[in-house]
Amino acid sequence: MSNSHMFLPSGFIRTPLQNGLGRYIPQLQRITLKFCKNHGGSRGVRDFIESDLMEFAKTNPGTVVYLKPRRHRSPCMVAEYLNGEREYLSCHEFSRDEVHKWLSYMCTRSGIPVMRFRKYQHTDYPTVQGVWNPFTHQAPEINIAEFPHEVLSRPLDHGPTATEQLIEIFKKTQIEDPANKPPN
Amino acid sequence: MAALWKTCQQCLRYRFSNVSIYTSITAVNVISKRNFKAHWVAPTLRELKRRKVIEDDLNGGPKIFHRSTFLEWNYDAEIFAFSNRLGEKFNDLSLRAALTHKSYIERETARLSDIGVESNLQFQDNEALSQKGGELLSKFTNGYLRAVFTQVPEELIRAMHDFLTSNPTLETVARHIGLGDLMLCADFPCKTETYVKSFKAIVAALAESSGEERARIFVQDLVVTQLYGQDVNELWNPVDPVGNLTAILKREGKAEPEFRLIRQAGSNSILGVYYVGLYSDKNFISEGAGESLEVAKEMAAREALKKFFRTEDSMRALPFGRQLKNIQSKIAQLENQPNIPLSEWISEKVMSAVH
Repeated sequence: MSNSHMFLPSGFIRTPLQNGLGRYIPQLQRITLKFCKNHGGSRGVRDFIESDLMEFAKTNPGTVVYLKPRRHRSPCMVAEYLNGEREYLSCHEFSRDEVHKWLSYMCTRSGIPVMRFRKYQHTDYPTVQGVWNPFTHQAPEINIAEFPHEVLSRPLDHGPTATEQLIEIFKKTQIEDPANKPPN
Repeated sequence: MAALWKTCQQCLRYRFSNVSIYTSITAVNVISKRNFKAHWVAPTLRELKRRKVIEDDLNGGPKIFHRSTFLEWNYDAEIFAFSNRLGEKFNDLSLRAALTHKSYIERETARLSDIGVESNLQFQDNEALSQKGGELLSKFTNGYLRAVFTQVPEELIRAMHDFLTSNPTLETVARHIGLGDLMLCADFPCKTETYVKSFKAIVAALAESSGEERARIFVQDLVVTQLYGQDVNELWNPVDPVGNLTAILKREGKAEPEFRLIRQAGSNSILGVYYVGLYSDKNFISEGAGESLEVAKEMAAREALKKFFRTEDSMRALPFGRQLKNIQSKIAQLENQPNIPLSEWISEKVMSAVH
């Protein structure tokens, strides 16, 4: 999936003012519900206001709820967040449950605009041991070594060559006591 | 096809425009739905937008309105929500006083006397509260820093404290808890000093209403957390790290620092790098890298100081929030007890303070 065809901005996950690090502050500052008292398109919003709104206001005391009855207007909700952003949502012909769900969605947002998350984690301290550089884990002997060097010039994963292995085997046979020579 | 390309270009252009915190009334973020608009709607809106941009530029920026000028505004409800949002209980009078500025009172009395009404407004301004709040803020920040950075000299504590209580930091915090709409002040858009004054007054009001303990936790949760993500070594710049290091080692009775070249690459090129190691009596202390020998030497000395003060990149993560529960008494104790200054710093003195 490439990003070149998307208008949606992308970014790393973040939160305003290190929210949650000290205490969690609900970011929804106020929500304005605009609806018509008569028209059928506002029925869901009106039902929500009659039944579920008080409970919502009680569970979210940090959010101010404004109600705007406006005749001949389709219903909408505008959410304002602590970082100054606003979200508009048209609630035309929503059911009562839909209004409730979208309202709780607004509660969980911070004001940061919707974006594609590049990664689902973020850290300000990406490294603890230090970033690798070519000098990490290098033997200090390279400072005064003359290259080509017998040990340091060899590849790291280079095991003993076949010749060296044969020499090793021969040496083993040489070291053993002639009295205990194994039968060949 | 050409129309589609033009629309795409417009979309991309508007996406990158910067939106200030108090923009004009038109909503910025829309949860989009499928719509069927006639062919003339988009070009009309485009033309109106073009004209609006020109007029805004002539007027020096788009028109901004204070939130209280809207029809849907209830100051009492907003104040109630403010205290609940933070999870704190405020005395109503203290909170309102903390949010009222002298400039507002002066403006209101002037306005009323212009009309001819006798003004005996019962407003109390936040001058005294903000003064007290500033002191409390300083005290609480210092307490936290000294309790967490036990090995660090007082100069670095002061640098971190100055950063945390600086105007930009406090303004950001004040904006993001919603003080912008609640403050009663004559200037709009509100100045930095107004935000900072209100925030300090809020701290004092909280101390008055719920006690100093709650105010301390409030400052720790909101102000001190701004230290997260900051490299503390960027905040403080010792002028002569080599001299400081030599003095410390001398005081501790250790040998003079000896600098040795450890690694080197590309000395003939622009991208040359030198690694200099710092030894005291043949014991390795630290190493530093730089583009020249002098720079590398200084960096090695800085790394050594970081090691002594326990502020390396690999230092322990800073505790916040609930992690401070066990050290609150220690924080309160250290509020009035400055750390050792750099001129007297030795390891033995600070070892006893390690928790």
